[in-house]
Amino acid sequence: MKMEPVTAHKGRFRRGKPPRLGRADRSPLGRWFWEIDLVLLALVTVLIGIGLIAVAAASPAAGVRYSDGAVVFPPLYYFYRQCLWLAIGIPVMFVVSMLPKEMARRLSLLGAAVFIVALAATPIIGHQVNGAKRWIGVGMAQIQPSEFLKPLYVVALAWLLSLKQHDRTLPVVPISLVGTAVIAGILMKQPDFGQTIMFLLMWTALLTLSGAPMKGLAALAGLGVAAVVSAYLFYSVARLRIDNFLFQSGDTYQVDSARRTLMHGGLFGTGPGAGTMKFKLPEPHTDYIFSVIGEEFGLIACLAIALIYVAIIVRVFVKLLDEEDSFILLAAAGLATQFGAQAIINMAVNLQLAPSKGMTLPFISYGGSSMVALSMGFGLLLAFTRRNPYLTRSPYVVTWNKPR
Amino acid sequence: MTGLVARPDRVRLAGQRQQSLALVHFRLMVVMLLFLGVVGVIALRLLYVSIFVGGGASTPAGDGLLPARGDIVDRNGVPLATTIQAWSIGLHPRQLVNDAMEVSEKLAQLMPEHSAAQYFAMLHSNKSFIYLRRRATPELVAQVNAIGEPALALAQEPERLYPQTTLAAHVLGWTDIDGRGVFGMEKVLNNRLLDPAKRGQPVALSIDTRVQAALEEELSAAKDKFTAAAGSALVMDVHTGEVIAMVSLPTFNPNDPGATGIDSLRNNVTQSVYELGSTFKAITLANAIDSGVVTSMAKKYDATAPLQIGRFKIHDEEPAGRWLDIPEMFTKSSNIVTARIADELGQSRETAMFKKLGFGAPPEIELTAKAKPLWPTYWGRTTVMTVGFGHGIAVTPLNLAISYAALVNGGTYHPATLIKRGPDNPVPTGHRVISEATSARIRQLLRLVVLPAADGTGKKADVPGFRLGGKTGTAEKAQGGGYNKKLNVSTFAGVFPMDDPKYMIMMTLDGPHATADTYGWTTAAWVVGPAIGRTISRIGPLLGVIPDVSHDVDESDLLPLLWHPGIAKPKLTGAAAAAHDKD
Repeated sequence: MKMEPVTAHKGRFRRGKPPRLGRADRSPLGRWFWEIDLVLLALVTVLIGIGLIAVAAASPAAGVRYSDGAVVFPPLYYFYRQCLWLAIGIPVMFVVSMLPKEMARRLSLLGAAVFIVALAATPIIGHQVNGAKRWIGVGMAQIQPSEFLKPLYVVALAWLLSLKQHDRTLPVVPISLVGTAVIAGILMKQPDFGQTIMFLLMWTALLTLSGAPMKGLAALAGLGVAAVVSAYLFYSVARLRIDNFLFQSGDTYQVDSARRTLMHGGLFGTGPGAGTMKFKLPEPHTDYIFSVIGEEFGLIACLAIALIYVAIIVRVFVKLLDEEDSFILLAAAGLATQFGAQAIINMAVNLQLAPSKGMTLPFISYGGSSMVALSMGFGLLLAFTRRNPYLTRSPYVVTWNKPR
Repeated sequence: MTGLVARPDRVRLAGQRQQSLALVHFRLMVVMLLFLGVVGVIALRLLYVSIFVGGGASTPAGDGLLPARGDIVDRNGVPLATTIQAWSIGLHPRQLVNDAMEVSEKLAQLMPEHSAAQYFAMLHSNKSFIYLRRRATPELVAQVNAIGEPALALAQEPERLYPQTTLAAHVLGWTDIDGRGVFGMEKVLNNRLLDPAKRGQPVALSIDTRVQAALEEELSAAKDKFTAAAGSALVMDVHTGEVIAMVSLPTFNPNDPGATGIDSLRNNVTQSVYELGSTFKAITLANAIDSGVVTSMAKKYDATAPLQIGRFKIHDEEPAGRWLDIPEMFTKSSNIVTARIADELGQSRETAMFKKLGFGAPPEIELTAKAKPLWPTYWGRTTVMTVGFGHGIAVTPLNLAISYAALVNGGTYHPATLIKRGPDNPVPTGHRVISEATSARIRQLLRLVVLPAADGTGKKADVPGFRLGGKTGTAEKAQGGGYNKKLNVSTFAGVFPMDDPKYMIMMTLDGPHATADTYGWTTAAWVVGPAIGRTISRIGPLLGVIPDVSHDVDESDLLPLLWHPGIAKPKLTGAAAAAHDKD
């Protein structure tokens, strides 16, 4: 019997190979596509798309704000820069998400060590911007080590806490406390209050997830309240911020203009490029980009963005319910928490539910370091949630004899 | 041995491991719910904000975006005055870091208005701040910034910009260094323009920039041609009192009022008083008709010889040498006949009419810089007579414009306004000056002066189809307590279209000099008449007056009263024609 020529199956087979990204595609890309959480990938793609539109909307306002007699920024300067950062960030996310879990863990631990050193060096060799030393490096290659440290720290902490699974006698909590305190101390020296809060929050979240006793957590919460109260009483900067937030005393220009911008568009927005209040906003492309979206695309768009963040968190957490490896569990949940908490804090600041902090909206705000760092963090999250979809699926949801 | 035995704590049973995993899963859900709760709060806050705090319009928003001072626009919304963020370059001499010599040389290179030595002195002065330049161009600011001297302060400050430069300069006025209006409408509207509740909305003036530009150009061309010292012109809506255009020459640039001499800053329309001459004859005649002194248009008055009253002698420029009826005396502009009519009217009726027309006070308009008319201090019989034809009383051009509007609009006086009429600035009821019938008669007579068929003094201003009516007026210029026989103040006051009066137009040239093509004459007929004609042909269509040769004022009862000596009148040319056409 004569064999049918391969060319007859044009379209279904590519020169004898199985179709790309199909189940039979054994190439690394094919396997990656099979194992990756496609829902998560789709959500983050949508978020990046929204982010580009939002930065394009905020870019003229930021350009006008930062232009002066000597330097004039073109209206879309920040948009093009953001495209550049994405051109770096997306490959980073892609490559990181392809790493085998073991290697991802080892590289994260190595990275965490490197960036703690970099962070410690920042007050010495860093650049001062707006009264704080947060950046190191030269020219285009300036980075903010704290941004990169965040996801790596989460993975390292997850690894540390998961060691308890193997040896209950290890003093993992005190060790993690010391590490976190060192990082917080360096950050407060910059000073960077927002990031310090973020790291403490991550630590608390991971302790909670790892199954720390409720008594200890309650004590921690009490300590937190006490810390805030004592900061209010003895730390003038904190008192100013809190007074500012609670009683609208002092200089409320930032929050006032953010509120005006957010409300100016109403439910449906003024339309792309039609916003006017955004020009009065400080940091329209980073901290207050949510307000710019509110003005130009309406509060419904803001609600939709909040829902996308929720969807990402819920997707990761629900998926982790049938995960048995405690390191993967803690690392993925921690990364998702870091991602979600940052988004929530940013939105809360924009809505005057929280005092102002320098926190970017993940994948939407403009920013080089934060974009690449977030891409790396999300790449790690994708790597840790990657697995064979049929392998440990609950038997109740499996439908046999039905093509995927 | 003991080394091989695991510590009991390290041993994990499968059950324990399962238990701790369950705990982690439980905590996972707790944290997730926490997230959902917080995002729920954010969503509720968003909804609360959108429902209760309201959309953009109702928020007290905007004040970050409000201009420091409200805009002024014309009646069609064309910006006349606006506030921009302009760069200023300043100097803090005490903060000098670099070599003063070097910095001052670079400054002198970039801003040559001061020498390097002057800049050097500034850098060493004891002052804490000096302005070097306001409203600097961004290029210059970039170059100054490139000097790299911390003592040089670059800042953006609100600056008042008049984008049309000199257009309507006297109407707008200007602001001082602190942004307060000090002259013109900037002063009048100062509080309104600074009011945070209102300054987001521009103020619409009654001015129409298109008409303003045409009027400015024509008046300025006439002023240049006849090398007059000054000029003023006005277009006004006769029914509402809205000033559509107001020109005073010489003018200035409100963007930099300090650069011009103080004389140019004066608004001649409201601040200068002139003896406006024969234009007053329309008022005297209206008064006489309305009060029954003149009962018939055919009534004739003796103009055979100059009128001798005591030491004074009133004579006509071109003696008619005969008795003249009313249309004849008006079109020929006879001083003798007007004096006789004024004599019959008497002082009390004359001054009562002037008061009703607002000559007792500065012209009624928002502007604060305005002059009060000058009245004769002694009213003798001759004063009553000369004032009747506009000599011995000096009013502002705006006073006359308001009175002409009242004479033709049916007899109702309305104050003038520079702010667009609308719900915020309604037309006041006004008061009656003369009867409807008298007003209709004055319209006929004014049209007759310009109507080519009647051969009156204003015929040079006629534009076919626009039905212009008006009166010329030439008076000797008052100077140093007496009169300058060589210099005139030449005025034309007219209204168009006369069959349905809409707009009052007037032009005054102060001290015009004759040119070859006026054969030595500087009377209104020669120097202002043609400019009025050209202006009307330009602004008429802009104001919605359609030229129509098939309509005109009904002059059928007046034209037969004009007696033309000799049926076949020889066509006059050159100087003879010029002599014939004097005021």
